[in-house]
Amino acid sequence: MKLKNISKYAASSSKVVMTIVIFLFAVHILQIITVELSSEIYRMLTKTKREISAAEETKQLSDAEKRLRRIHLSGKNFLPDGTIHLTSSKERTPGLFDEPEKIQIHDANDVLIWQGPESENPYEYLSWSDQRSRPYTIYFRLTDKQMKNIQMITPEFSQVIEIPVRAQDGSVQIWRYLPASDLFMGYRLDGSKIGFLGSAGLTRSKSEAKPFGMLKFHSSWYPAGASEPTVLWQTSRRLYEINFHKQQVRLVFESPETNIKALILRDCRPLDAQMQKEQKIKYRPTIRIVTEDQKQHLIIKNPEQTLTITFPDEKWNDSLHFAATTEGNFLIHYDSEIRMPAAYFKSPNSYQQWIQKFEGKPYKRWVELYKVDNQANLHLLNRYEWTVLGEFLPKIQRKDFRVQVQRAAMAFSAPLYDLACFLLGPEFFIQRYQVNDFFSGSMQMIVNIRPANSLASWLIIIAMVGIAFLHGRPRRTSRGKLIFWLLFILAFNLAGLLTYLALNHTTIIKCPACGKSRGLAQVNCVRCGAELPAPKRRKLDLILNT
Amino acid sequence: MRFLALLRKELRESLPWMLLTAIVFLAIGGFSLREAHLYGMYDWSERYFSSRYISETYGLLYRHSPLQVIGPVLLLTSLGLGLVLGVRHFWIPYFTRTWPFLIHRSVDRTTIFWAKLAAAIITFLISLGAVWAAFYSYSCHPERFTMLPIKRVFIEGWLFIALGLVVYLGTALTGLSTARWYTTRIFGLAFATVIICATIFEWRLGWAFAAIIIGAAILLSQINDTISNREF
Repeated sequence: MKLKNISKYAASSSKVVMTIVIFLFAVHILQIITVELSSEIYRMLTKTKREISAAEETKQLSDAEKRLRRIHLSGKNFLPDGTIHLTSSKERTPGLFDEPEKIQIHDANDVLIWQGPESENPYEYLSWSDQRSRPYTIYFRLTDKQMKNIQMITPEFSQVIEIPVRAQDGSVQIWRYLPASDLFMGYRLDGSKIGFLGSAGLTRSKSEAKPFGMLKFHSSWYPAGASEPTVLWQTSRRLYEINFHKQQVRLVFESPETNIKALILRDCRPLDAQMQKEQKIKYRPTIRIVTEDQKQHLIIKNPEQTLTITFPDEKWNDSLHFAATTEGNFLIHYDSEIRMPAAYFKSPNSYQQWIQKFEGKPYKRWVELYKVDNQANLHLLNRYEWTVLGEFLPKIQRKDFRVQVQRAAMAFSAPLYDLACFLLGPEFFIQRYQVNDFFSGSMQMIVNIRPANSLASWLIIIAMVGIAFLHGRPRRTSRGKLIFWLLFILAFNLAGLLTYLALNHTTIIKCPACGKSRGLAQVNCVRCGAELPAPKRRKLDLILNT
Repeated sequence: MRFLALLRKELRESLPWMLLTAIVFLAIGGFSLREAHLYGMYDWSERYFSSRYISETYGLLYRHSPLQVIGPVLLLTSLGLGLVLGVRHFWIPYFTRTWPFLIHRSVDRTTIFWAKLAAAIITFLISLGAVWAAFYSYSCHPERFTMLPIKRVFIEGWLFIALGLVVYLGTALTGLSTARWYTTRIFGLAFATVIICATIFEWRLGWAFAAIIIGAAILLSQINDTISNREF
């Protein structure tokens, strides 16, 4: 093949690639605008109606239903001996804004045992290591997703992570994370280098340092009794404790066979010291590590203790919390009869199928408190079960306007997205591309904008192919080319048709022989085979043609 | 020799834009960098070592380099230069009806295009590349900024310059196209915009470079084909 031909074919195919990329983006932007605009208009029109009906629904509750509603919404708190208390906030007196928040405490039989301002509560309950709201602690945490976000090539360039440290001799050190080599580089303010901190500790040169591995999670951490913080640096299978003041690195945990799924911390900060003195329950610093083999690893300090708990059922892992105290280690576990089996997560429609069984009906929920002994065995201390009204069940929005518009708009998406999701699975796109960069965003989008094999989508595609066939038949230069374009439209739907029209539109005339439409790109008529009509000969043609 | 003659001609036409871009970038960038140095905007002051950051917890500080102040200027001047050079090389000859004179030189059309592209690359290297390297070198001295920029930022600057070349190619394709404005003529510039988005919202340098190279290859092959086959 000659170079000229290669260049011609390369130009034709690159033109197709460029055009389809542009049209895919254009179609998607139109889809977003359609969905957002129509749902916003619908929301504005139906807002008042919805508010009125919600108010009417609340009024219609009976006393028994109100009681069930209060029990469900109240906090289920345990004392270290296993006693459960239900705590609920009392409504404030209208107009008294400075009134302290009052709570009511009921026992397991729903008998009121105490009420008053929350600050005067005589009971001290177990608090759990992974409860999110702890107003008196400030946490600086970093995940792998955030790490990628700070490396984003924005117009202001990417950022770096630096940890300023005042060393024991009073000098200032800056530790900069080098993402390319997974190391920390220390330097002084005069630009001189201190060294490199890697998994094997401090080294003077970069080549000697051993990388930590790709970051998954970071948090500051106060080891037991420490006055200065350290950094917990988690990679896929390891957890390191880095002390920049002392320039030391310690391997805290290693999972040789499976990856770490989650890391939950409870430490004892100097700030909390006053609060800790007032507390009767003394908590111990705990690092809880959940690995992909469904094991829970507890690294507890004061004194040092390591426990590994394996649960028989995977349903345990999502809804449990730990508390390590000087009196013992506790575990709380929430569950309900509407918990969906793990197998249902694999199909996108399974959630709706599962939840439909319970729609509008009351269902049971329960909470269990266990004590964990030194051999990691669980001993049930207490269990409390209550009935949840059907109104708290997630609503199945079969006729949600936004969903309907979205479904209609996505009928114009490329069926190729469906094929990709079928071959690779939706999890591939959701889990693998969790960053906010352009490429990952486009990959994540595939799951949301795919036509989902809907009938409407296939009808639209058939219509598009039909239009292309009617347009292309009189203009065709070869049968293979026409078949290629029809298949192309079959794969890309509306974007494919627009690409075809953009690259293949030629003028047609009426064939003088058969009277039907024919394109000018081919000499012979595609229907009757007659050649293009030659212009009438003139007197000067003989001279000009020679 | 013929190529060099063509190159000289294109460079002569690009010279005013080369100088203008270099002066604008040098003036705005230099002023911003000097201000940042004088006001110590990128220095480690005492506040970073107060109890809030050190005693309570290790505060991770996400920090931009001092070159942050000139990043947007570099990106905008690069894109602007790409657009202006594209117009100068491929549209102005169309308006001034000088394409036929250029095409009828005793070289093939591809050589004419490569001479234009070479002139554009040289313009970018001199007006933006050299100034950018000078700025980077300036900010690498600890006496000026205690927070030193990393090499990655230097590479990102070159990515912005390469994006200018992609805009140049997009403008060239749009300029050479014979289609109507409301059909496929604007696609060259639209595709260049997609490449810009794919590059500046990416965290992997390799992927960003790959996006630029693939985008440039797609545009180049079409420009080469169009310039070889269209009538002027």
